[in-house]
Amino acid sequence: MAETLRDIARRISRPLFNSTRLINYYWQRTQRNKLAVFGLAFIIFLVTLAAIGPFFTADPTAVNFEEKEIPPVGFTTQQSIYNIESNQFIAKEIRGTWKHPLGTDSKGRDMLAMIVSGARVSLLVGLIATGIAIILGTIIGVLSAYLGGWVDNALMRFTDVMMTFPFFLLLVLIVFIFGPSLAFIVLAIGLTGWTGTARLIRSESLSLRTREFVVAAKALGASDNRVIFRHLIPNVISLIIIIATLSIPGVILAEAALSFIGLGDPTVPSWGAILESGQHTLNTAWWVAVEPGIMLFLTVLAFNFLGDGLRDAFDPKSNI
Amino acid sequence: MGRSWLRDYIIKRLIYSVIIAWCILTITFILVRVGPSSPADKYLANIAARGGDPAQVTAAVEARYGLDKPIYAQYFSYMGNLFRGNWGWSFSTSMPVIELIKTHWIYSFQLILLSSLFAAFIGMLIGIYSAVKQYTKTDYAFTFLSFIGISIPNFWLGIMLILVFSVKLGLFKTYYDTTLPLFSLDNLKALVLPVITLGTGMLAGYVRYTRSAMLDNLRKAFVTTARAKGLPERTVIGKHVFRNALLPLVTIIMFDLGSIVFGGAYLTEIIFGIPGLGQISFNAIFANDYPVVVAVTLIGTFMVLLVNLATDISYTYLDPRIRYG
Repeated sequence: MAETLRDIARRISRPLFNSTRLINYYWQRTQRNKLAVFGLAFIIFLVTLAAIGPFFTADPTAVNFEEKEIPPVGFTTQQSIYNIESNQFIAKEIRGTWKHPLGTDSKGRDMLAMIVSGARVSLLVGLIATGIAIILGTIIGVLSAYLGGWVDNALMRFTDVMMTFPFFLLLVLIVFIFGPSLAFIVLAIGLTGWTGTARLIRSESLSLRTREFVVAAKALGASDNRVIFRHLIPNVISLIIIIATLSIPGVILAEAALSFIGLGDPTVPSWGAILESGQHTLNTAWWVAVEPGIMLFLTVLAFNFLGDGLRDAFDPKSNI
Repeated sequence: MGRSWLRDYIIKRLIYSVIIAWCILTITFILVRVGPSSPADKYLANIAARGGDPAQVTAAVEARYGLDKPIYAQYFSYMGNLFRGNWGWSFSTSMPVIELIKTHWIYSFQLILLSSLFAAFIGMLIGIYSAVKQYTKTDYAFTFLSFIGISIPNFWLGIMLILVFSVKLGLFKTYYDTTLPLFSLDNLKALVLPVITLGTGMLAGYVRYTRSAMLDNLRKAFVTTARAKGLPERTVIGKHVFRNALLPLVTIIMFDLGSIVFGGAYLTEIIFGIPGLGQISFNAIFANDYPVVVAVTLIGTFMVLLVNLATDISYTYLDPRIRYG
């Protein structure tokens, strides 16, 4: 299975990745867009953080009520602390320390550790769910365009039906019915998020199907398999890369929003879940809601910048 | 000639919409039936605590809900009930689901309507301005800001607005006041933060789409002709370019309604405590109140279906060139 998958991946991506000149050309064009370079840099930083960060930070689940609601470094807050001897609440000024650079939440958990492990969750969900959606969408789009006739009709009508469901409402319903485990959330996002990709890939493949090189390949007796994997998919791979980059932020936000309304996996500290808990402590600990939100925002921004730069590089005509 | 093609087209679209609605109901039915949960679940803990027999209770409750009947009979009664307006019983609020929706839909509606108007109006204005002044500093600034607007998670934006304007500055209440009359200035004021929360992402999107659609048309020959005729620039931009850019924009605005607006409204209602459909679905999730969650998803889907239908028909008026066979 893994062997065949690797083989297919190599075959369909060979035209792009074997040609260093082409890659260089695209890289040159992408590089001209400074925002895209910033996006790429932030994504690389985030991936590194998610991959090795958890080995260096504290345990994100360690609860410590002695150190609750400590502000980030450089900030101070007032806390009223109960004094047993005088039987009174005493106002005390709390200063952020380097022990908890980003502060702690209302249960005394280290914010830095939670943010870092949240990055892991968000990226994993974003990449895997987008992967599922893109592969599904590409298969459906290419098959629809290549086979035409009733297959095309049936697949596109099914796409119409799926597109009518408001994405988030359908997701809420599915996760509500089947229960919030991380694996299931990823699967649900992947299985509902393929419709846009399918349509784009279909229209691109439709125009490719009538081009001379495809007609020539068929005239030379190439099998359907060969035409699809050697001629159609390699020519839509740049489109696939753009769609994937621009879909990832939506997927990350969907998972965060699910966690935010309490339909996230309760066993993993996701950014959306931290945000939700921070919403209730806005009066006493604003940073709990601010920090994961900034990370979400920057991540989405970075993917949008990169996706936009890639689109300009691959398709100079488009000006959306 | 006449307008008979239009009537035929509308009838065709209507039939198609009904078929899609039927598919949606079927998919929802399958999802709920395949799901691991049973309506008896909520009684089990109580029954077990009193020393009852869970299996017996499950059987009794499932018989009460008709779940012991064959699957096709359940399917027919499900469809028939929905069609007759019997959308089930919400046990957590002790009223029929359809009544619950009737009392709460207006809150979602006002939020979505105001946000869409706000976003479409300002977004299009900025988009037109950006396109006309392409490659100036203002254009770059608006493009950059629209990126930020698109990327801000709207539920986080809502919390930040509450933090700054309600908690720190005290300008607004942190929660939506449900006792306000719908058509009053106070109600409008209470909706300011929610509308910004829901509208910002849409607005940024409209800026980008308007700019791009305007640029597509600005370089066309008919624009040169209009200018050569000596028309004032206002008329050229407003009547010739914008009118032609409007069609793709309408498609996108309508598409947004399904993909972004309902999800965004759901979250915005929860953050600000607005008792709309998103809020009742949210409450129902915690109460494990199945019929409500299903109903809200169905309502959202049917709204998208209706809007799509309206869009297709409105095209024929927006663009007289379109003729459907």
